[in-house]
Amino acid sequence: MLTSFKSDLKPFDELARSFAAKELTKKVEEHDRYPFGEFFTTVVDKMFDVGFLGVVLPEELGGIGGSISALCVILENICRADSSAGGIIFTNALSQEIMRAAKAEALARKVFPKASSASEFLVAFPSYIDPAHAGALPDAMKTGRGYTLTGSLELLVLGGLASRAVIPARIRDGSTYSFFLVDLAEEGIVKSDPVFTLGLHACPAVDVTMKGVKARLIGEPDKGGLYFKEVSSKMHVAAAAMNAGIMKGSLGEALAYSKERFQGGREIINWSEVSMLLAGMAIKADVADMCVAQACLAMEQGENHWGSHCIAAALHIHELACEAVTDGVQVLGGNGYMKDYGQEKRYRDARQVQALLGAAPLKKIDLVRGLAGLAAAGSPG
Amino acid sequence: MLSRAEVSARLSRFPKFDDTYLSLPYAPHMPGHMVRQTKEVIAIARKFNEEVARPRALELDRKTHEDPGYMPWELAELANKWGFYTMWIPKMFGGKGYNMPSMSYFSEEVGSVCLGIMNVIGVHYLGVSGVIASANLTLSRRIMNDVVQGEKTGKPCLIALATTEPGAGTDVEETDLVDKGKVTCHARKVKGGYIVNGTKVFISMGHVSTWTVLYAYSDLKRPSETSVGLMVKTGTKGFSFGTHENKMGQRVCPASVLVFEDCFVPDDQVLFDEARVRKFTKKPFREISQRYIDYVVSATRAGVGAFGVGAARGAFEAALNYASTTEVGGRLLINNEWVQCQLAEMYKNVALGRLAYVEANYANSHRGLYRLLQLKPFYYYLLFMPQAYFDNVVAPFLEKESSQKLMGRLYYEWAREPDQHCCSGWGSLAKVAGTDIGIKNCQMALELMGQTGLRQDAGVEKLLRDAKLVQIYEGTNQLNRLNLFKCLIAPAVPQARVFEE
Ligand SMILES: Cc1cc2nc3c(=O)[nH]c(=O)nc-3n(C[C@H](O)[C@H](O)[C@H](O)COP(=O)(O)OP(=O)(O)OC[C@H]3O[C@@H](n4cnc5c(N)ncnc54)[C@H](O)[C@@H]3O)c2cc1C
Repeated sequence: MLTSFKSDLKPFDELARSFAAKELTKKVEEHDRYPFGEFFTTVVDKMFDVGFLGVVLPEELGGIGGSISALCVILENICRADSSAGGIIFTNALSQEIMRAAKAEALARKVFPKASSASEFLVAFPSYIDPAHAGALPDAMKTGRGYTLTGSLELLVLGGLASRAVIPARIRDGSTYSFFLVDLAEEGIVKSDPVFTLGLHACPAVDVTMKGVKARLIGEPDKGGLYFKEVSSKMHVAAAAMNAGIMKGSLGEALAYSKERFQGGREIINWSEVSMLLAGMAIKADVADMCVAQACLAMEQGENHWGSHCIAAALHIHELACEAVTDGVQVLGGNGYMKDYGQEKRYRDARQVQALLGAAPLKKIDLVRGLAGLAAAGSPG
Repeated sequence: MLSRAEVSARLSRFPKFDDTYLSLPYAPHMPGHMVRQTKEVIAIARKFNEEVARPRALELDRKTHEDPGYMPWELAELANKWGFYTMWIPKMFGGKGYNMPSMSYFSEEVGSVCLGIMNVIGVHYLGVSGVIASANLTLSRRIMNDVVQGEKTGKPCLIALATTEPGAGTDVEETDLVDKGKVTCHARKVKGGYIVNGTKVFISMGHVSTWTVLYAYSDLKRPSETSVGLMVKTGTKGFSFGTHENKMGQRVCPASVLVFEDCFVPDDQVLFDEARVRKFTKKPFREISQRYIDYVVSATRAGVGAFGVGAARGAFEAALNYASTTEVGGRLLINNEWVQCQLAEMYKNVALGRLAYVEANYANSHRGLYRLLQLKPFYYYLLFMPQAYFDNVVAPFLEKESSQKLMGRLYYEWAREPDQHCCSGWGSLAKVAGTDIGIKNCQMALELMGQTGLRQDAGVEKLLRDAKLVQIYEGTNQLNRLNLFKCLIAPAVPQARVFEE
């Protein structure tokens, strides 16, 4: 839908669609076997080559300088096929956006333009938390011109693949935190094996512990919460676009199956209860599409409260998605439960995507507190 | 205030008292000992969870991802050692004779830790029900004796049940649908038995079972009128296994492909066919087939409802534990009102799902498959007579033609349609209620737990994967809603037609 509002997004749409068809669709199940199968390194390299790992990054920093809308269009198409690839694009964009919000251009210049491979270009991020809600964050200690980090962090997404990570840490006790850029090859970092999670298997995360690890401050100290807030509203729409794509994939597979599968002497789509299931999915997928488009427009036009529109859209879309993908399995009956079809993966992935940027109930409370002009729930007092 | 006739007239209107309020009239008839026995069963399940299920569930799930060829031989041996495969087999067939309804509480308990492990135990009773519901006492005794021997020797003897085919899943659950469907599993009558050809899919524990209750048809054009139930032993010539499925969850419990190629099954392994059934009833065979299916699924669907409740409870417990130990903004999550309400909602879901399977149990106990076993005098007779008495005195009596006829008449000729509807409808109701809340609570737990919920080592994501299956097997929830309508609502609406749109 976004592309019909904004025709300049069409090339992104076409590029992502053809990339998905060529590189992802046929090997979804194989790629999803990770960490028990091979990682799809060559696909990630190709994502780097076509620029998907730097969609929102300015051109002068080695990105393609696209808007969040462009990112959404790409994510939606990619996630329709394989949301793990979408998770990688999302996480890298999230790291880049944090650096951008912090106006850490000098730091970004040291990372991105010089990267000659995907692994150099990737920057890991703990994508499933809002650091403000995280109980414990690593501690940051000022040492000379820089800082050192000590502590642990769960589910650092891309931590096993990327050369660097953006890490939230606390310089002092209290609720404020700061972001740091860490070279993941530094001494003092211990990474776990890839954590086996519900979904997005090929967008792996690791647990890390750090002991006196050298780190560079991103932006200003104690401003992490501010940067995250600025970035999070936009990135919520990107996460929503991922689930909008997953829903479309689920609907597509369910529709196709229901036209082929016979039960009771007819294609199952001709049983009205199956039609009802499909209708429910179609309505949800359509509404999601419209919400993503509207949220993007509101953001780009800088409407009042565009941030909360974006978060509201995302929360709503994630809920719709989790329901739709459950029905998506159901339409295929026993086959829907099997890895030979795409539905079981979408059932898992939609929930994993829902968890991006923090737990949904906490976001809801923050949303309403924001509307009422109150401090976020995680804040002291 | 009202005469008996007035009361009766009003209570027989839709919704009928008899089909709506089950525990109210039936609870007082429950043998008191059942409560004590059920408490023991729940305690056994908890002990099994502590010692076997909980320490293994996540590790085994991981193992099945590393090695998709994994088969649960060790788990089956453990369950066998714990006595679970004979626990709910009636004493007259050589089992321990625990009351059947207690199994649903057991399923909830073990299911709350791992639905896959629960199915490694539970689906055997789909097979057991399939055997016993046939009213073929000779064959039932023979097969159950194998199970008992398997326990004694430490080599599990399990029973699988195979109805689903590649082209017919929902269709084989209903005689009204099967004639329109594409069944291919053919049983041709020959001298001395049947020759079977065809393929069955998604058969839980197929590879690991010793016996399979096989549902086939002697005329593929008229399957509803020509169904044949056969007992086929693993290793029989012409019976082989294909692959087993690569599933999203419940991965310790394989779903197997069964292939029959000119597989000869002798007459003494025919569980039921028209010729056998004719010995005790003149009712249309189609009707008898549906009744047989209903006896089995009324019991097993209530059980699957309990599986769903188990998942819901596992999710609730994980969320409770997380909320009790996690701080956000300096305050324990559990001390937030919204969290308390979410936990209350999850607890409520579990309780309602449980009430549904308990009501279904009452239906089965008084109007369905268990009705003989739950009659107080018979219950205590079975409880107190020693096993040797059943082996030496009762067994020869059961083998008699007259006993078989009596059993057949009791369960088929004299059975009342309203009872069948009540049991089947409530089986479906319990199944849909329990399994839907299974997904609901897993989703709520996952949302509450944020990124912790995503980790396989935290357990909830596995419950969510496992729970989806229970909305599918034993008939999809759509089929079960339609069956609920057919059994509990349509009889009150003469113009209603089901599966005919
Ligand atoms: C892991 C697993 C284990 C299983 N174990 C066993 C076992 O041990 N033994 C056994 O015999 N079977 C077993 N089954 C089979 C199970 O019972 C079937 O999968 C189930 O009945 C659905 O059939 P299907 O998969 O063919 O789906 P289909 O029947 O093809 O259904 C596809 C979709 O169409 C819908 N649909 C179909 N017909 C209608 C209709 N008339 N009206 C409305 N909606 C309709 C369904 O609800 C579903 O949404 C197992 C299945 C699985 C996945």
